[in-house]
Amino acid sequence: MFIGTEKLTHIYMPGTPFANQALKEVTFELSRGEFALVIGPSGSGKSTLIQHLNGLLRPSSGKVFFEGRAIGSDKAELLALRKRVGLVFQMPEEQFFSETVYDEIAFAPRNLGFEENIVQTMVEEALDEVGLDTTVLPKRHPFQLSSGQKRLVALASVLSSKPEVFILDEPTAGLDPSGRSNLYGLLKRLNRENGLTVLICTHHLDEAAALTDTVLVLQGGRLVLKGPAEKIFSHREQLYQLGLGLPAVTEIMYGLSEQGMKVRTNIYSLEGARQEINKLKGRCEK
Amino acid sequence: MSRSITLGQYFPGQSLVHHLNPRMKLLSLLLVLALLFSLQSYAGLVVLFFIALILITTTRVPFRYFLRGLRPILYIALFALIIYFFFTSGGVVLLRVGFITVESEGVREGTFIILRLVTLVFYSLLLTLTTTPLSLTYGLSYFLKPLRYIGMPTEEVAMIMAIALRFIPTLMEESQRLMRAQVSRGADFESGSIFRRAKSLVPLIVPLFVGAFRRADELALAMEARGYRIGARRTRMYEDSIAPRDWLILAVLLVLLITSVYLGF
Amino acid sequence: MVNRSEFMIEAKDLVYNYPGEEETSFPALSGINLAVRRGEYLALLGPNGSGKTTLMKLFNALLVPSEGEVRVGGISTADEDKTAEVRRYCGMIFQNPDNQLVATTVEEDIAFGLENLALPPAEIQKKVIAVARMLGLEQLLQQPPHMLSGGEKQRVAIAGVLAMQPRCILMDEPTAMLDPAGRHDVIETVRQLNRDQDIAVVHVTHFPEEAVFADRVIILNQGRLVMQGRPQNVLSDIPLLYSLGLQGPAAAELAALLRKDGFNLPPQLIHSRELVHSLCSLEPKS
Repeated sequence: MFIGTEKLTHIYMPGTPFANQALKEVTFELSRGEFALVIGPSGSGKSTLIQHLNGLLRPSSGKVFFEGRAIGSDKAELLALRKRVGLVFQMPEEQFFSETVYDEIAFAPRNLGFEENIVQTMVEEALDEVGLDTTVLPKRHPFQLSSGQKRLVALASVLSSKPEVFILDEPTAGLDPSGRSNLYGLLKRLNRENGLTVLICTHHLDEAAALTDTVLVLQGGRLVLKGPAEKIFSHREQLYQLGLGLPAVTEIMYGLSEQGMKVRTNIYSLEGARQEINKLKGRCEK
Repeated sequence: MSRSITLGQYFPGQSLVHHLNPRMKLLSLLLVLALLFSLQSYAGLVVLFFIALILITTTRVPFRYFLRGLRPILYIALFALIIYFFFTSGGVVLLRVGFITVESEGVREGTFIILRLVTLVFYSLLLTLTTTPLSLTYGLSYFLKPLRYIGMPTEEVAMIMAIALRFIPTLMEESQRLMRAQVSRGADFESGSIFRRAKSLVPLIVPLFVGAFRRADELALAMEARGYRIGARRTRMYEDSIAPRDWLILAVLLVLLITSVYLGF
Repeated sequence: MVNRSEFMIEAKDLVYNYPGEEETSFPALSGINLAVRRGEYLALLGPNGSGKTTLMKLFNALLVPSEGEVRVGGISTADEDKTAEVRRYCGMIFQNPDNQLVATTVEEDIAFGLENLALPPAEIQKKVIAVARMLGLEQLLQQPPHMLSGGEKQRVAIAGVLAMQPRCILMDEPTAMLDPAGRHDVIETVRQLNRDQDIAVVHVTHFPEEAVFADRVIILNQGRLVMQGRPQNVLSDIPLLYSLGLQGPAAAELAALLRKDGFNLPPQLIHSRELVHSLCSLEPKS
């Protein structure tokens, strides 16, 4: 088991009238290099779940695993864990506090105790990874950047500690279409080329679905569906009942299929749909 | 997560107590407190206590909220109990263990004090649990109104207090989120010398302020877009008009207070 | 004052420079000529920084034009004595639901605008209840805003604007921070108001799927109005949308790809069901 949970239960404010069971016996695991998606209506426990994976929250019961070992409470161990499991919060640019992009990205490596010359390499590599300029940009004030650049710097500020697992909560919130497609391009590269295990919580499946290996569906704190993307997205009715829906392209394929056309419905990208529909040519004549 | 943070203690409801005028509720509470402290007899106290219980039932606020409100006075109550039980003499000796004796007078007085304390807390909670923080704020600001004559913008101050109340849960949530985000990046807010710890708060405080200013900016725009102008006359949805029943309750309390003081109950 | 023109909002030769930014390469807005008709649903698209939000603020008299003129209900927004009237005529919903709810309970928030008009309390109460009933918020009236879901918060914000009986609602990315169910609720609410009460809507969005139902789509880029027309015309112009860093609806994007592959699809496809229908009529069913 690379990373995962076993019967993870979390209760906020236990023992008070406001006690709220945010997660109920959630069990799942991911292998190294997977691209996973956590979906569910707001308030279904997605944020609570991912905050357990780098030890920010402690389970009320059950366990969280990383590389086969249960996450403990030892401080040094937790710091080491947070280096390896990077977590990007929603609207991460709202955490900026430094006067330069460089300092912002150097925050994590410095906290990990790296020497300044190594920190510098780590910062440059992180900027490079997200596709930002490493010469002028590091000296600029993070607040002066465009919204798309800010988001990339925020991602770099987590990537700078060289995580093996990269977890993002609603990574495209507030971005325009080109920002969104740029960001998913980056996540794809990090996953396919650099081998990062990526886990995303999002409401917008259009860009994410085509990249995904595994999907976890949460509802009211319970893991109601989990499995390979194709299998989960075939539970169309159930997803609709949860108010989640499918990527728009997939919907078109379902529409065609319902009209009696012989097309696969497990299609999540425009290019996939194009190829599938092209197969129809010259096949349907009767 | 946000659902776990309550604003003030307000528990929504439609009871008579909920609908009383907040200003009058404040005044009534003052009178009840005065009454509580002027009462000398058990009978009077027990009556007030039962009235509190009846009122609590009518509000339909779960009783555990009232019990929870007692928690802060637990130690005071315990302390009072010990003092009175063990150190007040008089009456019949009820218990003797070694040199410690518990006498009936002590038990009587101790119970009286605690009952008074519990009743006091119940009445205070009756106010805070049935009145929105906003109404309370406006109620209080009413009594500050005379300050307007010396140039205090009391209306605006009340609006500021109301907005602060509205945003306390939001900002608490935000600071928690920021803290976790920075801890995720390896920040350590707990160890090291005081100086180090103070310095480690920078990554928390800077974004918290930046965020609060951005919020304030957006909120100001939203308020302006909805026609709010400083100094302009505005009304309130619930003009806290004073109904005859408010006067009635106040009058009854006043009579009770005067009688109890006069007759030395 | 009676508005005799058929236009809710009219912008004439509008230019706007943010103070202190007159020297930058292009003004926030320039050369905008635009009229919003009675009961019209207008979708406004454009990349981040294209001036969409600025335009909305100008329509609400939160900003005053540097050059040219904006008239709302026949009143110039530069007329400071009539600002209140402009804002009553034309309400505004902002992107972040958290930063626009002022009061500590839902009902008091809906009442906020009415209180600013200094209406008698009885009238305010009557209107608040009527509006809450219309939008299905009766059960939430006593709730504090932070206990609501994102979609509920936005509907409360809409209720607050609606209570003022506006002739036009401006919405600046109202669904950007919502889950699919919340998005659906907000969009349906607004479409219904537009249909049943003839309230004009100006809706800024990054999601082309939200623009397909509009009467007219406007595209801004670098402060200029680059295209406007019926959704079928604008949203099916995929090359133009891509060149501005925007997206089209999935159906339009897929149709564009399929046309390249020789599918003889009609132009101006933007709805998924249209695409399905067209493909089915091309192919004999097998």
